[in-house]
Amino acid sequence: MKKASLLTYVISIVVALIFILPVIYIIFSAFKPSAELFSANPTFIPKNWTLENFTIALSKGNFSLYIFNTFLVAISSTIIAVIINTMAGYALSKFRFKGENVIMLLILSTIMLPLEVIMVPIFSVLRFFGLYNSLWALIIPPAATPTGIFLMRQYLLTIPDEVIQAARIDGASEWRIFWNIILPNAKPAIATLAIFSFMWRWNDYVWPLIAINSPKKYTLQLAIANFSGEFGIDYNSVIAMSALAMIPMLIVFLIFQRQFVQGTVDSGMKG
Amino acid sequence: MAKMKKKERGVEFKQKIVPYMFLAPNLLIFSIFIILPALIGLYYSFTDVTLFTFDGFNFIGLKNYIKLIDNEYFIKAFVNTIKLVIVVVPIMYLASLTMAILIVQPLKARGLFRAVYYWPVMISAIVIGIMWNWILAGNFSIFNAFAKSLGIQSLKTLTDPTFAWWSVVFALVWSRAGYYMIIFMAALLSIPEPLYEAADMDGASKLQKFMYITYPAIRPARLMVFILTTMEIFKVYPLVTTLTGGGPHRATYFTVQYVYEVAFKEYQVGSASAMSMVVLLIVTIFTAANFFLSKRGENV
Repeated sequence: MKKASLLTYVISIVVALIFILPVIYIIFSAFKPSAELFSANPTFIPKNWTLENFTIALSKGNFSLYIFNTFLVAISSTIIAVIINTMAGYALSKFRFKGENVIMLLILSTIMLPLEVIMVPIFSVLRFFGLYNSLWALIIPPAATPTGIFLMRQYLLTIPDEVIQAARIDGASEWRIFWNIILPNAKPAIATLAIFSFMWRWNDYVWPLIAINSPKKYTLQLAIANFSGEFGIDYNSVIAMSALAMIPMLIVFLIFQRQFVQGTVDSGMKG
Repeated sequence: MAKMKKKERGVEFKQKIVPYMFLAPNLLIFSIFIILPALIGLYYSFTDVTLFTFDGFNFIGLKNYIKLIDNEYFIKAFVNTIKLVIVVVPIMYLASLTMAILIVQPLKARGLFRAVYYWPVMISAIVIGIMWNWILAGNFSIFNAFAKSLGIQSLKTLTDPTFAWWSVVFALVWSRAGYYMIIFMAALLSIPEPLYEAADMDGASKLQKFMYITYPAIRPARLMVFILTTMEIFKVYPLVTTLTGGGPHRATYFTVQYVYEVAFKEYQVGSASAMSMVVLLIVTIFTAANFFLSKRGENV
């Protein structure tokens, strides 16, 4: 293999710094005492490291509750997403049935109807079903995604039909086949979907914005956004919680980097 | 015999019902939370419904749409959004393609570079907004400290309309280029190596190889990136909320924010729905145009 030139290295490193430095700066800022946060001559690295921004936000600022809400939503929604999107992907990959094309078209059309465009009527639908101001509104509706369906469908196409036929001949019920054969065999695709779903729900802002009213049900992103807009609010907490909100995602990313890359390729190209 | 036949038919019947049952949860959610709201939104756009009168409102025909023409805030937000699409899409495209070309080079620690370029994609738009606001805004920001060290006196940064507008462009590209980079990367890696070897034998230059092999080969990825970025920019809102709040003087005010405020702060649901429908129509036209223009090029 050829070697990259020195110039390529220099450019690659400069680009990398553009992506790294802002993230490190906000994480460092979270560890600065107030005097340094609001100083006329800010430094990149804190002079006196402190944890007080975190402790104040978590104890006085109710942020522990918002983090709990966010975890609850992200985990429950991901479990539901994995089950229902795998079910749909299974139906679309291993069955022939009437109306298949219409259903495919319906799923594709949902890509063209982003939440941001239909948020006003969604508000009245949520109210009608009694989901307004309930965490269920952040768990159930976002669990169904066209991306998830296509990701699962594409993967399940690779499972040989014979395996399913053999199970049918043995008298296994369709639900049993799904639970005992399809789900365990789809592990790599499920891992990808689960990681993406967790990230989408963790970072979500528009769903909570429409569906949640009471501060007790705030998610982390909603809380950060609402508090940053208010004057006189303690900005230290906003900075500390922004830094904290990134950390679970960065950890997930470091562990599952390959799934993210593969998932982006699959969903981007086929979704 | 008759019994046997009955059983078989039962199995067949079950087989026919099964796929629908597996699809049911998804289709139910799509119908209730996407298709139904879209239809309701269309209906609302012809009425004078407000946030407090969901039970009694009047049909007013095209009035909401006609009023939009005189609504200077809507026009401003709409023009801003179109401008943002026109500016961000090509910059995003160039940035992500350049990054993809960098990470397919035979670099040491290639995986590390890829990871670093991709990681802003994992950060929420809200936090991206906070981050860049924190870096740029005000006299005490590190950006201004840096400018001062270069001898530039206190820039207005986010209180300056032009600066604020370009900050939104920058933050968008910074946070999303890694995603599109991966799409380009996959396309670049799928180009067969012998093509380049043959070009080398013919003495082709690097630029020629790029123009005649690489660029045409990644056509599907280019189309994909164009469509996805266009749709993404039309939806821009969370990032702006925490970066600029739409200001100063509505310089970074975009349609989704305006629709949200008309509906939930001015309570004019009918009017907001009409705006949503206009946005939806424009997004569809942009996407379709992109798609057909590039399809046509493919056949020539």
